[in-house]
Amino acid sequence: MDPALEYHYLQSRRQFFQGAGLKVGSIALAQLLAQRGLAASPPAGRDIHPSLPGLPHFAPKAKNLIYLHMNGAPAQQDLFDHKPQMEKFFDKELPDSVRNGQRITTMTSGQKRFPVAPSKFAFEPCGQSGILMSELVPYMKGIADEITMIKSVHTEAINHDPACTFVMTGSEVPGKPSLGSWLSYGLGSESQNLPAFVVFTPTVKNPSQALFTRMWTSGFLPSKYDGVKLRSAGDPVLYVKNPPGVLPRDRRAMLDALGELNQKSFERFGDPETETRIAQYEMAFRMQSSVPELTDLSGESEATIEMYGPNARKPGTFAHSALLTRRLIERGVRVVQVLHRGWDQHGNLPKEIKNQCLDVDQPTAALIKDLKERGMLKDTLVVFGGEFGRTAYCQGKLTRDNYGRDHHPRNFCMWVAGGGIQAGMTYGETDDFSYNVTENPVHLNELNATILHCMGIDHSRFTVRHQGLDQRLTGVEPAPIVKQILQ
Amino acid sequence: MMKPVIVQLLGLILLSEAVLGAPDFTRDIRPILADKCFACHGPDSNTRKAKLRLDTNDGATAIHNGVAAIVPGDLENSEAWIRILSPDEDEVMPPPDSHKELSDTEKELLRQWILEGAKYEDHWAFIAPRKPALPGNAGNPIDFFLQRRLAGEGLKPAPLAKPETLVRRIYLDLTGLPPTPREADAFLADKSPQALENLIGALMKRPSYGEHMARYWLDLARYADTHGLHLDNERSVWPYRDWVVRAFNQNIRFDEFTRWQLAGDLLPEATIDQKIASGFNRCNVTTGEGGSINEEWIYRNAVERTSTTVEVWMGLTAGCAVCHDHKFDPISTKEYYSMYSFFHSTADPALDGNKLDTPPVIRVPLPGTREKISKLEDRIQEVERRIKEAVTGIEYTDPADLQDPPKPTTRDIIWIEDEVPAKAKKEGNTPWKFVGRPEPVFSGEKASVREAKGLSQHFFTEANPPLIIEHGMKLFTHVYLDPANPPAQIMLQFNDGSWEHRAYWGEDRIDWGKKNTISRQRIGNLPDTGQWVRLEVEIEKVGLKPGSKLNGWAYTQFDGKVYWDQSGGRITTSPVADPAFSWKAWKAQKESDRTRGLTEELRKLAGAGNPAEWSASSEKRLFDYWLGHVYAGANAVLQPLREEKAGLVSEKDAIGKETAVTFVMADLPKQRESFVMKRGQYDNPGEKVSRNVPAFLPPLPARPGDRDYNRLDLANWLVDGKHPLTARVAVNRFWQQFFGTGLVRTSADFGTQGELPSHPDLLDWLAIQFMEDGWDIQRLVTRILTSHAYRQSSVASAELRVKDPENRLLARGPRHRLDAEVLRDQALNLSGLMVSTVGGRGVRPYQPPNIWEPVGFASSNTRNYKQGKGDDLYRRSLYTFLKRTAPPPFMATFDGPNREQSCSVRGRSNTPMQALQLMNDIQHVEAARALGQRILKEGGTNAADRIRWAWRLVTARHPDDEESRIVMKALETHLARFAADPEAAEKLVAFGESKAAPDIRQDQLAAWTLVANLLLNLDEVVNKN
Repeated sequence: MDPALEYHYLQSRRQFFQGAGLKVGSIALAQLLAQRGLAASPPAGRDIHPSLPGLPHFAPKAKNLIYLHMNGAPAQQDLFDHKPQMEKFFDKELPDSVRNGQRITTMTSGQKRFPVAPSKFAFEPCGQSGILMSELVPYMKGIADEITMIKSVHTEAINHDPACTFVMTGSEVPGKPSLGSWLSYGLGSESQNLPAFVVFTPTVKNPSQALFTRMWTSGFLPSKYDGVKLRSAGDPVLYVKNPPGVLPRDRRAMLDALGELNQKSFERFGDPETETRIAQYEMAFRMQSSVPELTDLSGESEATIEMYGPNARKPGTFAHSALLTRRLIERGVRVVQVLHRGWDQHGNLPKEIKNQCLDVDQPTAALIKDLKERGMLKDTLVVFGGEFGRTAYCQGKLTRDNYGRDHHPRNFCMWVAGGGIQAGMTYGETDDFSYNVTENPVHLNELNATILHCMGIDHSRFTVRHQGLDQRLTGVEPAPIVKQILQ
Repeated sequence: MMKPVIVQLLGLILLSEAVLGAPDFTRDIRPILADKCFACHGPDSNTRKAKLRLDTNDGATAIHNGVAAIVPGDLENSEAWIRILSPDEDEVMPPPDSHKELSDTEKELLRQWILEGAKYEDHWAFIAPRKPALPGNAGNPIDFFLQRRLAGEGLKPAPLAKPETLVRRIYLDLTGLPPTPREADAFLADKSPQALENLIGALMKRPSYGEHMARYWLDLARYADTHGLHLDNERSVWPYRDWVVRAFNQNIRFDEFTRWQLAGDLLPEATIDQKIASGFNRCNVTTGEGGSINEEWIYRNAVERTSTTVEVWMGLTAGCAVCHDHKFDPISTKEYYSMYSFFHSTADPALDGNKLDTPPVIRVPLPGTREKISKLEDRIQEVERRIKEAVTGIEYTDPADLQDPPKPTTRDIIWIEDEVPAKAKKEGNTPWKFVGRPEPVFSGEKASVREAKGLSQHFFTEANPPLIIEHGMKLFTHVYLDPANPPAQIMLQFNDGSWEHRAYWGEDRIDWGKKNTISRQRIGNLPDTGQWVRLEVEIEKVGLKPGSKLNGWAYTQFDGKVYWDQSGGRITTSPVADPAFSWKAWKAQKESDRTRGLTEELRKLAGAGNPAEWSASSEKRLFDYWLGHVYAGANAVLQPLREEKAGLVSEKDAIGKETAVTFVMADLPKQRESFVMKRGQYDNPGEKVSRNVPAFLPPLPARPGDRDYNRLDLANWLVDGKHPLTARVAVNRFWQQFFGTGLVRTSADFGTQGELPSHPDLLDWLAIQFMEDGWDIQRLVTRILTSHAYRQSSVASAELRVKDPENRLLARGPRHRLDAEVLRDQALNLSGLMVSTVGGRGVRPYQPPNIWEPVGFASSNTRNYKQGKGDDLYRRSLYTFLKRTAPPPFMATFDGPNREQSCSVRGRSNTPMQALQLMNDIQHVEAARALGQRILKEGGTNAADRIRWAWRLVTARHPDDEESRIVMKALETHLARFAADPEAAEKLVAFGESKAAPDIRQDQLAAWTLVANLLLNLDEVVNKN
């Protein structure tokens, strides 16, 4: 169904059947049809992914969103939240005044001790802004002046599944639309031959944590707002390839006949869904060439490929995904989400986190630079972070060079860059153990509200009625936007 | 841009017409108050502002600080009205920061309502339905109510759909599969007035009906084959899915259907099916994630089950009341947790353990077991009949009565000679050792030998065929004890399933079994050394009975060196004295021998006093038994039959033992205490609650004296006929299933935030009729499908489209895209590839690579998708394995829910991804090839006939000339192309696991494959029309 019509149905059911009887509804619909030019003209030429009427609510700073999700929860103490004071507490009990009786997971609640594990990695202030970063992310140091580092993000869930569900859907309970689905539902997309919302799940050596399709699917919204996965094995987009032996011109011949016959079906039944279907088959045909064009890197310069690192040409890697992300944004795709797994270091953290950073550090920095060089960063919001943080105390055996960290929802670091966001800023602060927020806490709902704001959406007005409630991405509690990090 | 303006003007005119009549509280006023006011002035006492509630008459008219929000009939003194009109930002209602605004129409409605007395009414769905009166000439009540409304809107129902359209609609709606041309013809030819009802009745008997109806219920039950969270490992609850299929086929009453699923485990002497059904509330997602906190998950599981139950049976969104009093419906948190308390003491663990069989579970027979067992029982009866025949044919003369009675005869059955018997598995302290002459050998070429210090032996098991013990048999062996190194003891052990049959000679050094019993029986002294001696053991001494089967034999010794040779059983037959040959001898046995092994009935006869005094009829019956079961002279004839029967019996027993695990519901022996959980936090208990139902609904009956209320009481309450919601919610969902939208569009929300019914009288009539019909689902469905509304044409004029785009008034028949499963099943069915086996563990059909793998946990047992083979690829979609965190694309692409939570209505999107899947998915391309093959083989001999045949097959109607021409043109293009490129044709027809027929030219088949692909993608084929 056409989003404009759907919007009408969702928003004005009450008028439709209750407010003043059917007549009001049908008139409102007729109005809408006329406004959208649907009543008179055929669907050809209209947007494939139209936005909802009335959206954006105001002029957006960012047109597109790139969300780099580090699944499993990177340790903030080892990457961005420098706590030199922890050195003095090496292998000493985390002070009770810090832990303050907070709940901990049953993986460490049986531990007799909670010894502090200082990071073994060296930090330095980077760029003119002086944002602190560790030696684990040498390339990101180079983009410090482009980003806002938020050190005080917090969430509610203490285990992966509910926390991942929360970070992407604003709810721990499955069934809600993902951030990308909300955006493609509300804003549509400029692309006429690619999906509005694209997802990558690059392969990693050690997939110790699961992903869930609910992190990019549409929950109670229609499934057309699902993120479409760009895949590294098999068809890059599901079923985009013709069967063996079938050439594009065979498909064209089949589609010509199908279009004619479906047009007759439309004449027979008068069902507008049939017209939409004709348009969608044509879109499918266009995707059959636009997707291979997208993944064909022959037009990229050597310098660009080199910037993304040695894996840039290798499908299924984070680097390749990052490069394709830029190409997608260039082609008008609204939201790209890259979910990188393997950040759940309960033990053996120093070695494993190094490998994780080798995967993402260079391509992430390259993506920011690349967007900037092409003048796209100002229109594109980039988000980097996990679903929660990790503990100051060690899980398992503690030495100077080896330790592990348990889950910690009370504070963690995320950074944002691009459209509408301050460049070179650090926001929020935590205590000496990176265990509690001491100033400017940012709840994930507030971060999501801020993301929507940058995209021109007032999150409190962006609602869909479901299960008797006007549902929104940011939950029922107030979620003020973080004005301080906006330009 | 002139057009919108004109339409808008028109809109205003009509709008003012609409508001001319008196505002109706339920239809016009309450929705406004609920949307714009209740968040602060509604049922939730915690967030209520200014102590004002506008959801009740008392609240709205109460005086605060000298003023009342609403003074009926008096606008000027109604504070609410003053605030609505106020220009002051701090005064105006709703306040600007709420982002809620009243439109002019809404203000006008409120104004009139206050002027006319501000009358409040209870919410319609919370008042029990009353059966609306029907005039005598009403005809079909469904059409009466619908057409009454249509007439009010100046509309008329559409004419009946063409029979070929209708027949496809009905087949798809009842079975999820299209009709075959022959089935369509049969319906078209049936001119009887009952044709439609007969067809409906016949289709409801098909398993495909149960399968199709079950699909909708499984969305509600959030059924899937994995736990859903974290590892997302497999769980075994598919017998529940199969039960739902059976329940629809058996047309289990909806009230029973309810009781079984909510409380099947609590029913007195619950049947297996009732227990399986109780798995409904075990279908929720669960976690086994390390680090999870038990209390949290006990709480969460109970909340999920409560909310799902309330949504499925009562059509209410109770979830809001988890954290705060419901903002719109009169459910307080306390009432919510009182319902939650019914589900808070379930016996399943907080964490699922990532197991297939998280308790409580039961084991149930595999699907088809009943049928298989019944078939075997038939065959067993048949063999018994043949045994009886054979027995009747025996001409028997007692040997004792012969003039020259036969002499006793002796015969050895040699079981071990030079080698162990067939199939025997040799074992021993050291391996078997066979030696030949010049060492001592009794017979044949070899003897086995063993030299030991202490206890040692060699033996075998699993010999097949076994040595069958017969009446009077003596087991024998031959031994040679080395004079230079004689043993202290030798022993034979016999295995008939157990080794507890031992005979020994010499000292008592081996202490196995119990001395002087069959498990350790001394036969005599050691035989002389330096010579071969035959040893014999009477079977009674070691407790072996006629009919026992030996599969194992052990040569055991203590010290010394022993040679063993030729062994087996000796039968001595003296027909005159042998009860197995002489009826007289059998009768003469002592009573305990005579009656051994007899049935209860025969034992009574055989035990009744002196055989000489038996009545003629008793004697005849016993004699017949003896002939058939004991008489050895008949063995040659009867033994093969007996063995045939034994084989069947053991096959039957084995099938009976093959079972599957399924999750069931059960309660803890000791009930948990339940509390209001403040703000919905699992670790923040407030006031203690006891099991109860919300006050706005009818009360539970008086508490049973000796126990608390339980889930069965709750289920009974839902279906006792007085509940205002249960029947309405149920009939509305069935209506939605056939018309695409419910009479209440928000089929999961009958509360005040839900939509009002489009036809309240019809809904109530259906609900009450449903209960009066004994909650008979098939009868309800038949009522709906025989209405004019269902049978009418779905063709709509442009005018009607605009007036009623969603077809809520039903001035035309239903038309919508087929569901995910139906699209796949239709392709399989039309192509002839479908395998229609019912039930069983989820199967794994074609799935592109990297659906499971990129999301799955390394240690999850559903990380790697292993595609099934053969039949598994072509089963109905209902049986596809459903992994919740990565559902099969054919489901996800076509709005199939991932079953993480209950789903009462699916979306119907229309996307390019769907087009790509129907065109290119191997499942659909293979189906197109198989359909192409059918067209070539069954569709006639020329292209025009074939196109007509194929079109009829897929749409149930014949194509018009232009349609045929368009398809013909495509066919010709494809034929030319594949004729020129045979390699491409070869590749296309080889796509898929099934093989193309070798007798068809590949270029032809390839072209028809693309034609079939075209036909399966037709708008008319992917829709119900």
